Amino acid sequence: MSYESPIREPLVTGGKTAGDVTADICRPLEGKTTKLWWLGFGLAVICLCILVYTLAISSFRGLGMWGINKTVGWAWDITNFVFWVGIGHAGTLISAILLLFRQKWRMSINRSAEAMTIFAVMCAAIFPLFHMGRVWIGPIWALPLPNALGSLWVNFNSPLLWDVFAISTYFSVSLLFWYLGMIPDLATIRDRATTPIRKFMYRFFSMGWNGSARTWARYEVVSLILAGISTPLVLSVHTIVSMDFATSVIPGWHTTIFPPYFVAGAIFSGFGMVLTLLIIARKVLKLESYITIGHLDAMCRVILLTGSMVGLAYITEFFIAWYSGVEYERYAFLNRMAGPYWWAYWSMMTCNVISPQLFWVKSWRRNPNFIFFMSIIVNIGMWFERFVIIVTSLHRDYLPSSWVMYSPTPTEIGIFIGTFGLFFTFFFLFARFLPVINMAEVKSILPHKPHADSHEEVHTPQ
Amino acid sequence: MASKNKKYIYGIFDDAGSVLGSVKKLRSQGVDIHDCYTPFPVHGLEAAMGIKRSNLTVGAFICGAIGCLTAIVFQLYVMVGDWPMIIGGKPNDAYYPSFIPVTFELTILFTAFGMGILFFIRTKMVHGKVEDLVDLRQTDDLFVVAIEEKSSHFDKEAVNRTLIAEGALEIREREYNK
Repeated sequence: MSYESPIREPLVTGGKTAGDVTADICRPLEGKTTKLWWLGFGLAVICLCILVYTLAISSFRGLGMWGINKTVGWAWDITNFVFWVGIGHAGTLISAILLLFRQKWRMSINRSAEAMTIFAVMCAAIFPLFHMGRVWIGPIWALPLPNALGSLWVNFNSPLLWDVFAISTYFSVSLLFWYLGMIPDLATIRDRATTPIRKFMYRFFSMGWNGSARTWARYEVVSLILAGISTPLVLSVHTIVSMDFATSVIPGWHTTIFPPYFVAGAIFSGFGMVLTLLIIARKVLKLESYITIGHLDAMCRVILLTGSMVGLAYITEFFIAWYSGVEYERYAFLNRMAGPYWWAYWSMMTCNVISPQLFWVKSWRRNPNFIFFMSIIVNIGMWFERFVIIVTSLHRDYLPSSWVMYSPTPTEIGIFIGTFGLFFTFFFLFARFLPVINMAEVKSILPHKPHADSHEEVHTPQ
Repeated sequence: MASKNKKYIYGIFDDAGSVLGSVKKLRSQGVDIHDCYTPFPVHGLEAAMGIKRSNLTVGAFICGAIGCLTAIVFQLYVMVGDWPMIIGGKPNDAYYPSFIPVTFELTILFTAFGMGILFFIRTKMVHGKVEDLVDLRQTDDLFVVAIEEKSSHFDKEAVNRTLIAEGALEIREREYNK
């Protein structure tokens, strides 16, 4: 018996040339602003206003505006923080890990996924920042606090502080990676610009790029190293986020499985969000030749893989809770499954464990409408995962007299909706003013004209 | 890209393979390639042009090492030196494992930004710099091979012939007198 591997589908369909790539990808940002864009942008800005309002009342009136209480000290805020940070992970996974793995299909989706990373991390940062209460003295806490005995520093033993370092490093390195990858494309737009303002703006940001082979050679080295360091970085970020829980003594949090489980979950939810955004973007911006069904298929496979890892983690966690023989641990998991928040637990199980298994069916993996629906389900499921981990572990603590229920207040719901406003405001601006696909990289994977007397194969970048 | 009082010949191509072919041919004829301008990285081109591997990686390593040391020294100063915290009567050495995450993050941060800055310095890229282009489409779909006309033993005709034979769409000349 022998297996004949099928010929791979082309990564760019429609027989595009390098010139076509430039024209197709620059079209949305050179044409007139469409009504659809204004509609989407308007909605996003309205949600952004909700964010500003709800954050303002949270600051002026205090955290009493939120539903958190003495027992459930972390609830929607940290749920949403972990939710947004997780979403951000797909961007770096696509641009860094898939670069190291030489996966060329990443090239037409990495730019928008990285943009998504940056905007998602911005949304995430809002929650812990405002959860501090008096957000305006936040920067002062980073400095040594003078008191009678000297100056009190931050505590480097605390995973919360590690998280500050992880998230801020992640945000700034992602931003650098994203910007550096965009410079050649900004130069392309600069050289096509017809108005002085456009010329000036794109010239400013493209830093005099002229496509010199010497610059490209260095640029390739920098990209490779950045990918090499972003790979452990992205894994470390959600690992450290998980340590916020795993280093505690709360039953349901205190588990060593958390780091890999959180990372898999983050990639799972991140790809869910990438699919949600790209299925719309490829349609609206007419990019079906670049973000093909094959790309969607590949992303669904990642969802299937990471979804199965998450499912395995849930079951392992459950098994270990029983196997450990620890009474509190056993109760925490029984309470998740059959306690007052059973509906959250079963929503999580359905959305994250059962639904990704549908992607075993090839025709469903290649149906954009079905994938779009599933990507929303994945995001809902992953939100519930964080809610289940945080709220159901806390609301029934060691002391039954302090058992409470938690429900969000309108302010908290407003902040959550508002972060979607922030995210989409930036995303709409990105789609209007910046190239959503990495033109330089996509051009490098187009088939080359055969050269008459050169027998050397032209190597395309990784 | 070009310095004063120098003459350049530019061969303009529309295909990456031809650029690579002509660079190899010209080099085998003993002509030095000044530079190439391409809309995307053509792999093998830097080797064909005789560009050595960039040593930015060394810079990146040094930056990373500085970041790593900064993190270790700072955390030791804060947690052991300036304000030692006694937690459960443990010795201060017990802190070291909990320094690892921050040390790791700062190593990455310093590597990324250090290398980014070194890259911009090395390639003389700065915000707002006016680009020096041969053709507006060199960032779109055209490829340029630039050859400096050196005064001694430079056979311009031979270079032109090679460029055309390799499929150049156009050959341009430019002199820098500024």
